[in-house]
Amino acid sequence: MSSNKVLIIGGGPAGLEAARSAAELGGEVLLIEKRARLGGTPDSEGYAKLTHHWRDASEAMAELAAAVTGNANVEVKYQAEVQSLSGSAGNFTVEIAQSQNGKTGGVVESVNVGAVIVATGFQHFDPGRATQYYNYYSFPDVITITDLEKMLKENKVVRPSNGETPKKIAFIQCVGSRDRQVGNEYCSKVCCGVASKQAIELREQITDSKVFIFYIDMRMYGYWEPEIYWPAQEKHKVNYVKGVISEVLPKGNQLLIRGEDTTMSRPMEVTMDLVVLSVGMEPSAGTRAVAQLLGIEQNKYGFIEAGGSSGLDPVATSKAGIFVAGAASGPSDLDDSFAQAGLAAARAIASVRKVLA
Amino acid sequence: MAVKFPKTTPIEKENAVIDGVDISGHWSRMFEQRVIFEYTPELIEKITDLPDAESFAYCYQCAKCVPACPVDIVGDYGPRKLYKYAQTGTDLTQSPELWLCTTCANCLRVCPKEVNMAKIMPAAREQAILGGSFVPKELQDAFENTAKSGNPLGQPQRKRDAWIHSAGVSVPVIKDLSRPVDVLWYVGSYPSYHPRGMEAAFAAARIFTALGIDFAVLGKEEKDDADSQRLAGEKGLFEMMAEYNIQTFGKYEWKEMIVTGPHELNAFKNVYPQYGFDRPVLHYTTFLVRYLEQLKHLLKHEVNLKVTYHDPCYLGRHNGEYEAPRKLLAAIPGVELVEMGRNRENGYCCGGGGGGMWTDSFSDPHVKMRLSEKRAQEAGATGADVLAVACPFEVSRFTDAVKSTGNEHVSVLDILELLDRSMRGE
Repeated sequence: MSSNKVLIIGGGPAGLEAARSAAELGGEVLLIEKRARLGGTPDSEGYAKLTHHWRDASEAMAELAAAVTGNANVEVKYQAEVQSLSGSAGNFTVEIAQSQNGKTGGVVESVNVGAVIVATGFQHFDPGRATQYYNYYSFPDVITITDLEKMLKENKVVRPSNGETPKKIAFIQCVGSRDRQVGNEYCSKVCCGVASKQAIELREQITDSKVFIFYIDMRMYGYWEPEIYWPAQEKHKVNYVKGVISEVLPKGNQLLIRGEDTTMSRPMEVTMDLVVLSVGMEPSAGTRAVAQLLGIEQNKYGFIEAGGSSGLDPVATSKAGIFVAGAASGPSDLDDSFAQAGLAAARAIASVRKVLA
Repeated sequence: MAVKFPKTTPIEKENAVIDGVDISGHWSRMFEQRVIFEYTPELIEKITDLPDAESFAYCYQCAKCVPACPVDIVGDYGPRKLYKYAQTGTDLTQSPELWLCTTCANCLRVCPKEVNMAKIMPAAREQAILGGSFVPKELQDAFENTAKSGNPLGQPQRKRDAWIHSAGVSVPVIKDLSRPVDVLWYVGSYPSYHPRGMEAAFAAARIFTALGIDFAVLGKEEKDDADSQRLAGEKGLFEMMAEYNIQTFGKYEWKEMIVTGPHELNAFKNVYPQYGFDRPVLHYTTFLVRYLEQLKHLLKHEVNLKVTYHDPCYLGRHNGEYEAPRKLLAAIPGVELVEMGRNRENGYCCGGGGGGMWTDSFSDPHVKMRLSEKRAQEAGATGADVLAVACPFEVSRFTDAVKSTGNEHVSVLDILELLDRSMRGE
């Protein structure tokens, strides 16, 4: 039996936007989310401010969620996961397990849907896998951009080792990205911008701090350049140094970072109070699992292969009727995720109508 | 020996005249910068066109390699710089930089693009040798010695087994046994000939005997593995030696081969298989930890010394063995093991690998101190009494280096020698 229902897997920015767009186009939407809350990684990881427009992350995610939960065409299932999928475009049968009272798979329900949008997102790179000696798990004052984001949200950035306010802070770029040895050859796209955004926030919250960003290339396209990169340097006096750090060593109660200032062609050994690793994106465990369950192709990094047979459809997967949006198909910023979500919604609705017609 | 490196402060003078030319001024503005008038991608391609050297082109100038490079720490070097030199007019095959790399692979450890100097350097050096470019004299001598005498020291082949008579135990030569053995022990050139290297050979013979291991050596039939000569660019010589060695190893029946040195391990385990040799080969540290419990009963005498261990690049980074040497040292009663700041995966190179064993005089003007001297200082700074090593190149290198850096109080001993001391109570 054909169905005009669109199943959206994942309640993060891409999933929420896809649900809203599909509903606005007149579709019937079932959104399932693994957690008990909507909002995705910006919510679960406690992001402070979003780019662009510097929106408060909790507020912005709540707004996205409200647009979905308040829509009569959208049904939301929480703590729900896909268990299996059969059938073809226009007529998929999906088994959904919903945990109750914390028990996974408490209730399994079979649902008939016409199209699927996968929006299962990313996870942050584990800095313990870096081949450089950044010592994330050894030194408390070596943190990640995700750790810093939580502190920025509380407006209380401290050195975890002693609770003091850091005065010299270094960001190290490309941790876990653009690295053949860790297997992630891709650029994670957002870390240059996120580090720069955080550097601005640090300079605002700790006015007498010195903030440095050590980089290989600054990759700041679109709004990132005029909204983030230029103000960071020009207005907020963030220091950019070309030459990425090789190792972080203890020195007294500070951290010694060793690298090369490549534009000066000189070795560099500078002490810092806090070192922030700009960790990149990897496919989330959910993305890997869902891709397997749905039988859609993944690229060598585990992200869902998008582009379709024409190579011109950035939301098509290897299976007709199944679409992908957001960071599930590769590193994306919010704007890219929203754009993909809207396109995936349009494609899904069109696909359902084509089958029904 | 006098200390070569008194603590100095940088010189900064108001007025300076050199050879009649007044070069006074602020140092950074003292000379006009040289303008780059042309880029030379062809000099990058000259390297990347060589077999196994294609990764030279991968560099995206992140510079993680430079602080990791042991040569940069005592000079001005690093893979990412070599790339820029090539891009701006330097032919690597004609430049002194070609001979400074020890192929220690610490750059590769941190490189996100996997630029592999341990492959690039041998290829570029081979090109230099074939093209008749400059080759450091002492390195040329080592090549010629290996070709003529079967060892880089230039010692006669007939004396290869002379050390056996001083070992204090019977060392069977496989040819004389005319029966299969469990272990074929490849002794190596330095333990066979070098006065300090021999101490490790004696110790190994005594330890193997005490453990009741059924072993034999090749005696006069043993010749150098030539892996360092290969890394220094003499691939032809290496292939000649490999052919001889593989044939010799194949003449006898044995179950596994034990080597004294990490360079031999690398040769037989990682490179000889490309030439048809495919047998189990173990470094002695990996082999002896198997007998750790038995060994502990033999280590009767306390060796009350503070010991720091130097990871050989070709045992550690190239072959992943970090723990066996430490387990052996920890088994010696009385030994207190202390680590240097750079250890295990980040161990600092002694300067002897990749042909560095034979380019010290050539490299001297390019570095403020030898790599072995930098490492000797690091060992001295730990307060250790002993710098323990597990590579026959290192005993002689570090014995000189502790003297020249004022660390004479640090004894340089192979792990074998320490085990032997504890066993025999000397």
